[in-house]
Amino acid sequence: MQVPFYDGRKSFEELWPDLQARLDALIQRGKYSHGMMVAELEKAIQRFTGARYAFGCNNGTDALILLLRAAGVGPGDEVIVPCFTFFATASSVAHALARPVFVDVDPVSYTMSPEAVRRAVTPRTKAIMPVHLFCQMADMTALKQVSEATGVAILEDSAEAIGMWYGGTHAGLHGRGGVLSFFPTKTLGALGDAGMILTNEPAVAELANVLRHHGRVGGTIDNMPGISNPARVSGTNSKMDDIQAAVLLTRLGRLEADVARRAALARRYDERLAALGDHVTRPRVAQRAEPTNAVFYVYLIEAERKSELVAYLKQHGVETEEYYPFPLHLQPCFAELGYRPGDFPVAERACARTVALPLYPDLTNEAVDHVCDTIADFYANARGPR
Amino acid sequence: MLPFFPLDMFAPHREEILRLVREAGTSNRFILKDNCARLEEELRRRTGAGDVIACASGTGALQLALKALGIGPGMEVIVQAFCCQPVASAVVNLGATPVFVDVDPRTMVMSPACVEERITERTRAILPAHLFSCMVDMPAIREIARRHDLLVVEDAAVQQGASLHGVPAGRWGHVGAFSFFQIKVLGAIGEGGAVLTDDPDLARACRMLRNHGQDGVTRFRHHLLGYNCRMDEIIAGWLLYRLPALEGELQRRARIGEYYNERFAALGEQLVTPPRGREGRCYYIYSLQTERRDEFRAYLESKGIGSHVYYPLPLPRQPAFAAFASPRDRLPNAERASRRNVAIPAYPTLRDSEVEYIADTVVKFFR
Repeated sequence: MQVPFYDGRKSFEELWPDLQARLDALIQRGKYSHGMMVAELEKAIQRFTGARYAFGCNNGTDALILLLRAAGVGPGDEVIVPCFTFFATASSVAHALARPVFVDVDPVSYTMSPEAVRRAVTPRTKAIMPVHLFCQMADMTALKQVSEATGVAILEDSAEAIGMWYGGTHAGLHGRGGVLSFFPTKTLGALGDAGMILTNEPAVAELANVLRHHGRVGGTIDNMPGISNPARVSGTNSKMDDIQAAVLLTRLGRLEADVARRAALARRYDERLAALGDHVTRPRVAQRAEPTNAVFYVYLIEAERKSELVAYLKQHGVETEEYYPFPLHLQPCFAELGYRPGDFPVAERACARTVALPLYPDLTNEAVDHVCDTIADFYANARGPR
Repeated sequence: MLPFFPLDMFAPHREEILRLVREAGTSNRFILKDNCARLEEELRRRTGAGDVIACASGTGALQLALKALGIGPGMEVIVQAFCCQPVASAVVNLGATPVFVDVDPRTMVMSPACVEERITERTRAILPAHLFSCMVDMPAIREIARRHDLLVVEDAAVQQGASLHGVPAGRWGHVGAFSFFQIKVLGAIGEGGAVLTDDPDLARACRMLRNHGQDGVTRFRHHLLGYNCRMDEIIAGWLLYRLPALEGELQRRARIGEYYNERFAALGEQLVTPPRGREGRCYYIYSLQTERRDEFRAYLESKGIGSHVYYPLPLPRQPAFAAFASPRDRLPNAERASRRNVAIPAYPTLRDSEVEYIADTVVKFFR
C-alpha cells in the first residue's frame, strides 16, 4: 500500500464544480493577482478569524517579513524566536535587517519556552515571535506576561495555525499581528504559494497593506492603474495570485470539516500507536491557563532510531517528513551569530527524534492502519544491533 | 471603450486556464516541479543564457540577483531616477543605497553619460532598466562597468524579446531579470519572473536563494539566507503554453508601434514619440511625451480610449526613497519625463481598425 505524505486529489474533485465557477468569475474580471478574489478572501478570513485586517501576500514567509517591517522592526533590533521551527521564523527577522535571538522550546509542545524568552530579553529586543506549530499554540498566557513585564511586543508566526484559538482569540491576534501560510499541504492550502498578514492594529495594517505592493499608496487591490501610484515606503512585490485565492475561498467552506477529519485521524493514530510503548512518543497537547484547541496540521511523533524507521516506512510505501532535522541556531547561514551545538538541548534532541506521519483529510483509515502496522512491525522485527 | 489595460486578453484561453488548475489539483504537483524545469529549459534555449531560474516575480528576480551578488549595507547601486519602484526597493531592502541618475530625454531610460560621475568607492553595481519600448545603451553601460570593475544587473522585465547587436535583452549584465506580470509581453495568469545568468556560481546561488537557501539535496538545511521566491506549476504551465505565440505577438506590437510612429511624425515637437526601428527595441508599451498631457488624456477618454501615466514622480521624489536623494542628483530629464509621459494602447489583440482609430484621434487632438 502506498501512502503519500500529502494527497488532496479526492477533495479537489469534490470542490471542482465550485472552483470552476469562481475561476469563470475571475476570467471575466481579468485581473489575475491582487484582484477581486484576493479581496474576497481577505474578507472571508477576517470573518473566520475575527481579525480586523487581513492582507493577502505571495506566501507565508513574505507575510512574516512584511509584518516585522510593518511593526517597525529593522536594523539594530533583536527578535526572540524559537530554534525548533521552520526556517522562515528566523530568516524573516534577518530579511527585516534585524537579528534573530534563539531560545529553546518546551519538550511537550515544542513551542518556545516563556522562561527562556524572559531571560533573552535585552534593551535591543523589539519583538517576541512565538510559533504555533504542528497541532497547538504556544503558551500565550505566559508569553503575554513576559511581554507585559518587559514592554516587548508579540508578533506571531501563526503560519500553521489557522483554526487554532486561545482564550477565545484566534492565532495571530494575541499581539501586534500574525500571519497565515496557505502552502498546499497546510490545513487551508492553495495549489501554489500564498500567505496572509493578520492584525487588529490600524498602524501595522496601514503599512503592511502598502508594503506588499511596492509601498504604493492609494487603492491598488483590484485596480490595475494603481501600479503607478507613488511609494510611501520601500516595499516589494508580494501580491497573491487570484487563482490561489479562488482555490482558498472554495476550500474555506469545508475547513471546519477538514479540521474535524484531521482530529479523527490523529485519534486513530493515537489509539494504534499507544501499544508501542516507549518506542514512539505520540503528540501531547499541553495544558494551558486558558482554553485552547488543537488543530492537527501535522501529526508529529518522536521515534527511537528515527532514521531507520523513516527508511523502513519508505520501503513499505509510507512517505514521511522530518520536521525539523536541524535546529535553526545551527544552520550554516546563521553561523556568524555564534551559536554552538548544545546551546539548546531540548530542540537538538527533538531534531534527532521527530518525524511527521501522513495526515490530511483525504487520508483513509486503512492508510493510517497501514502506517501504524508498519511502525509496529519495525519495532517488533527490526531489532538488530543499534 | 478601448481600455489601456486589456484585462480580457486571456478570456479566450479559458479552457487552458481550467486545465492547468485541474492538473495541479489532480497531480499533487504544485511548486518548482516539471513545468518550472521545462520553462527554464525553454527560456535557456530561446535566450542562449547559461542558466535561467524561474521565480515568483520580476521584483523577486531582482532581489535574488542582488542578494546573490552580495549587495548589502554600505554599498551603493546606481539606478535610474525615472523608473518603477523595484529597482530602488530591491537595493534599499538589502540595506544598501540606491544612487539615482538621469535618463535620456527621448528614450526615458538610463543615460550612460550620467553614470560615471556618480561612481564612488562604495559603488558595487549598475542596475539599468529598459522601459516602454527602449533598451538602455547596454554596450556603453558594460564598458563603464568594465572600466570601474562594477557588476551589472540588467532589469529586462519589460524587454523580453528585444535584442541589441544580436544579444537578447536580459543577457547583457552579469545577471538579468524578466517579469511575467500579466500585462507584460509574456504575461501570466498571476505573478512570475525569471533570473538569467551565464555564471554557474550565481545561478546556483539564485536557485538556492529562491527556496529558503536549500541546495535541493538536503531538505531543511539552509546554506544561504534565502527567500520564498518560487514559481508554481500553474504559472509555469501557462507560460509554456503561451511561449509559442510570443514571437508573433512581438511582431504585431512592433507593427502597431511603427504605424503610430509614422502617423505621429508629422506632429512635430509637441508630441515626442519613441525612436524608430527595431534594434534594441520591444514594443511592450508605447509611451509618448507631451506638455499637454492632462488635456490629451481627457480628450482620449472622451473618445473612448484609455491611457496611462506610468511614472508620475521620479523615484527620489517619492516618500519611500526621499532619504536617498542627494544634493548631487541632477535629474532634469527624469523630472520632465515624469511630467510628460503618457502611454496609449498598443497590445497585440487590438484590431487594425482600432489602431487606426487611436492614431486618428491622437492626430486630431494635436492638429
